[in-house]
Amino acid sequence: MTSIGTGYDLSASTYSPDGRIFQVEYAGKAVENSGTAIGLKVKDGVVLAVEKLVHSKLLVPNVNRRIQTVDRHIGLATSGLLADGRSIANRAREEASSLRSWHDAPPTLKDIAERIGMFVQAYTLYSSVRPFGISTLLGAVDKNGPALFVVEPSGVFYGYHGAAVGKGRQLAKTELEKLKLSELTTREAVYEAARIIHLVHDDAKEKDFELELSWIGAETNNLHVPVPEDLFKDADAKARAALETFE
Amino acid sequence: MVSLAQQQPIQQSFNPYTENGGTILAVSGADFSVIAGDTRQSEGYNIQTRYAPKVFKLTDKAVLAVNGFAADGNMFVKKVKQRLEWYRHAHAKDMPIRSIARLIQTMLYARRFFPYYVYNILGGIEEDGTGAVYSFDPVGSYEREACRAAGAAQSLVQPFLDNQIYFKNQTPAPGTSFPQHLPLQTVLALVIDSFTGATERHIEVGDGLEMYVVLSRGSTALQSLQSIRGVQEITATNDGERVFVIRKELKKD
Amino acid sequence: MDHFPTNWGRPRNDAHDAYGTFPIPQRPQNRVNDSFSDAVQRTQQPIVTGTSVLALKYKDGILMAADNLASYGSLARFKDVQRLQAVGSTTVVGAGGDMSDFQYIQKFLDELVIDEFSAHDGHDLGPAEIHEYLSQVMYARRSKMNPLWNSLLVGGFKDGKRFLSYVDLLGTTYSASTLATGYGAYLAQPILRKEVEGREDTLTEEEAKKIMETCMKVLFYRDARSLDKYQFATITAQGVTISESQFLTTSWSFAEGIRGYGAQTQ
Repeated sequence: MTSIGTGYDLSASTYSPDGRIFQVEYAGKAVENSGTAIGLKVKDGVVLAVEKLVHSKLLVPNVNRRIQTVDRHIGLATSGLLADGRSIANRAREEASSLRSWHDAPPTLKDIAERIGMFVQAYTLYSSVRPFGISTLLGAVDKNGPALFVVEPSGVFYGYHGAAVGKGRQLAKTELEKLKLSELTTREAVYEAARIIHLVHDDAKEKDFELELSWIGAETNNLHVPVPEDLFKDADAKARAALETFE
Repeated sequence: MVSLAQQQPIQQSFNPYTENGGTILAVSGADFSVIAGDTRQSEGYNIQTRYAPKVFKLTDKAVLAVNGFAADGNMFVKKVKQRLEWYRHAHAKDMPIRSIARLIQTMLYARRFFPYYVYNILGGIEEDGTGAVYSFDPVGSYEREACRAAGAAQSLVQPFLDNQIYFKNQTPAPGTSFPQHLPLQTVLALVIDSFTGATERHIEVGDGLEMYVVLSRGSTALQSLQSIRGVQEITATNDGERVFVIRKELKKD
Repeated sequence: MDHFPTNWGRPRNDAHDAYGTFPIPQRPQNRVNDSFSDAVQRTQQPIVTGTSVLALKYKDGILMAADNLASYGSLARFKDVQRLQAVGSTTVVGAGGDMSDFQYIQKFLDELVIDEFSAHDGHDLGPAEIHEYLSQVMYARRSKMNPLWNSLLVGGFKDGKRFLSYVDLLGTTYSASTLATGYGAYLAQPILRKEVEGREDTLTEEEAKKIMETCMKVLFYRDARSLDKYQFATITAQGVTISESQFLTTSWSFAEGIRGYGAQTQ
């Protein structure tokens, strides 16, 4: 790292001579080293999936979830520092609640992504704070149909058909590109999401992981909920089976 | 006489209180206490419900009856119970009844200028094992007594208790004296008579009767209690004191 | 107890008059003693009001009913207002009294339900929790001398148990197998009690609806602030259903002969 020792990487409020903010780039590293999170925007809904790395066998299963709910119709998955993800989710809930009461209607995902982008960006301006060490996947079905956004540590956000962040993002993106996302049903996307997470998980390097799956679509009455147990088990089993035949 | 036109514009002000009827009473014996209340809740001529309890077990040694404005009553009981729970967490025992009585005074007087519109009667067993009744006014004045009635039919029931328990306006037969304490059986009979009487004569009293009996450690009143039909024990600890509840129907008209 | 025989049998509920239907005597100091009160707006009287809400327990759950009218004083101002609101998946809240206060209540209840949904902790708000929350809010507001001017019924069905309770602007609460707010307490409650008390576990939905319709009819005939257009809500093990608006069939031919109503010559 060329930046180390130059003194330009100590504060988010200082540019390097070539116009970079190293603290923000370091925040990006926190994401790159974290378990993969993917989002699929399909025909009639959105699926979020997370590879939650389990660093100890002593942990109780299914806690410290990395997929959270923001509003009835909005889900949020993070990759990076877990606690930063909590903080972002709480902020997103406040924003959703405030927009809902202001417009007397469910907020659109673009509005939420915009607010979260502004919030995250504010943490790239000051020497007194640390930028968020997470990339945030936001998924929803709103009045404009299914939507998927990613907010990066810099505060920049884009809309996607399919998105992947974290350790296995490269392989995941390659897999997502092979899919005809706009033709899949949400239920089909659940299987693809499970398969991709299992695929990108590196058994050799990483210990155990937990698969987290949530969906929003016609089948859930446009509510963001965890994938039901029977579907989850089936998707998980099929994903494991697919690993054997891959390549 | 001021004419209507000259008057100030009338602003209807909000009255934060109402009366919800009903009557409560408590009587103490040598080693027991009886705390009772009817279960009717009313407003004006409306019966809101035929079953809204006014008597609450606080600990195995103390039972509180509240009467007046029901919303205040329920809130007050809730807060007293909360304070007793905090006491339990701090001291690993139940608060003695005389301390509960003082606590209630403090809590009531704290709201001296926006009172809980509630008459409280606290009954139970003192630390020395004697039956105790404490009665309060809405702003916290209180005293320990042998018996007390409060609520809608106080003016009907209290004179009856004065006569039957304190033997007011009675003179003992020559060479005899009135008993200091009455046995449980007699007290329960008086309580039931009080409520059936009040039910007959007051529209706000009726529907159901709940009588709580608190017995001191090793009280001899236990036998007479066990012969009563429908008695239910609700003791929670094994400190020695025992609490029972007896439910009866009252006329519903 | 009032020991003055001259007061017996007279209306005595003039101190608390939820719907402002009874004249309150003017007193020198009828207000709260607050020097800043002029600068603070508080609900001192309801403006746009809904009338009675009725509810009963039957075999499979709770049946509630309320008409679609929101009155502006004696003017029938809004005739398509829903006064029964589902809260979560096991509860219905029905409101009489000030409709803007009710809309505020609906708003914060919805927020509460979303918070609970988002927490996703394996708990959800049942009717008992919603009723307790509401009663705490109502009591807190009355204690600030700034009440939410409503009478609310909370009906629900959760874990195989029926729930039916009342709470009003004073924070007063109670539950019973039949409940009615406003004029319903005078006109419908006696009918409901007669028909329902003791039959809560055998009444079918059909029978319950028939009883309820009778009560709504009586209210429409006698309560001048009511409407013949109303809705039912049922809360059972199957969840919440709030019906489409329906109309009462009433007959007014008897009125022909009433002096001052029909065409009279004299």
